Amino acid sequence: MQMIEKQLVYLYCVTNKEPKLTETKDSVDNLYFICHRGLCAVASKVEESEFDEEGLKKNMADLEWVKANVSTHERIIEGVMASADVIPFKFGTLFNTDNSLKAMLEEYGEEFKAILGKLGDKEEWGVKIYCDTEKLKGSVINGESEILQIENEINSSPPGRAFFLEKKKAELIAQSANAKINEYSQESFELLKELSFEARINKLLPKEVTEREDDMVLNSAFLIGKDEVGDFINMIDTLKMHYENKGFSIDCTGPWPPYNFCGLSKQKVRNA
Amino acid sequence: MHNVAITSKEVTLLEVLDRVLNKGVVVSGDIVISVADVDLIYLGLKVLLSSVETMEQLRGAPITGPMQEAT
Repeated sequence: MQMIEKQLVYLYCVTNKEPKLTETKDSVDNLYFICHRGLCAVASKVEESEFDEEGLKKNMADLEWVKANVSTHERIIEGVMASADVIPFKFGTLFNTDNSLKAMLEEYGEEFKAILGKLGDKEEWGVKIYCDTEKLKGSVINGESEILQIENEINSSPPGRAFFLEKKKAELIAQSANAKINEYSQESFELLKELSFEARINKLLPKEVTEREDDMVLNSAFLIGKDEVGDFINMIDTLKMHYENKGFSIDCTGPWPPYNFCGLSKQKVRNA
Repeated sequence: MHNVAITSKEVTLLEVLDRVLNKGVVVSGDIVISVADVDLIYLGLKVLLSSVETMEQLRGAPITGPMQEAT
C-alpha cells in the first residue's frame, strides 16, 4: 500500500508571458504555469519528503542529488529563457500550494514587472579571471628596475648579504605581482563594464572549490544588450591577447539567466 | 552579428552552482529553505569527490598482508 505523499510547489522563474515549452521536456519535469496579473510563474510539483527542511538538509550533502537537481533547475530556466525574459529564482524556492505562490505574485508583482522591464533584450554573461601567480612573477622580474637592481647587488655580494637580498627580492616580486593582479583585473572589469548596462563583482572562489591550479582573481557578471554581445566578446578576445602570456586566463560564459541582476529592493524583502 | 564563439555549453558544474545556489531571486515562500551555507556545500562536494578518488585509489592498489579482500 502506498501512501499518497504531500507535494510542494517548486518555483523556477517568473516571466511576463506564457512561455513556449517545446524545447524543454516539460512532460518529464511536470512543469505548469501559474499566471496572475500579467505574470507567469513556471513551477512543478515536488515531493515534500525530498524538499522539506529535513529532506533538503540530507539531500544537499549528496553530490549526485545536488548535481541532478541544480542542473534541472538551470535547464528548465534556460528552456523558458529561449522564448521569454525571465526572473530566475534561487534553488529551493518552495510553496505549500498554488494559492500561496499566487499570493507571492500579488505581493511582488509590480517589482517583478519593473525588473522584467529592465531585463528586456539583455543577457547575462559571466567572466572569471584566473592567474598563474608563478608565471606572472616570471614576467614581473624583467619589467621592474628595482628588482633588476637588487639582482645585480646579489651577484656582487658575499653569501650572508646575498641571502638577505634574495629574501627582499622575493618580497618585491610578490608585491609587484599582486599590484599587477589588481591592476589587470580592475582594468578588465572596467573595460567590460563600459560595454554593459550593469556589472557585478562576486566573491572569489577558493581553489578547493574551483579545483584549478591557478587562483581566481576576478569573479564578475555583466548585463549586456543583445546587440552589444559581439562587442563584448571582441573585448574579451582583446583582453586574452594582452594578458594570457602574462599568466592570466579568462573564462567567459553565457548567455545565462540573469541571476545576478534581479535583486529585489531590500525594504521589500525585510517587510515580507 | 551574434558571435557565439566563446559561448561554452560545456560549462562546469561550478559555474552552474555558483549561480543557482548563490544568486537568483529570494522571496519568503511558505517554506523558507536556507541554502545560504553554500561554502559548506562546496566543501561537502569536495569531500565527496575526494572520497570517491580515495576509494578508487584503494581499489587500484593491491592489498597485501593477511587482510582479506572485502566481498
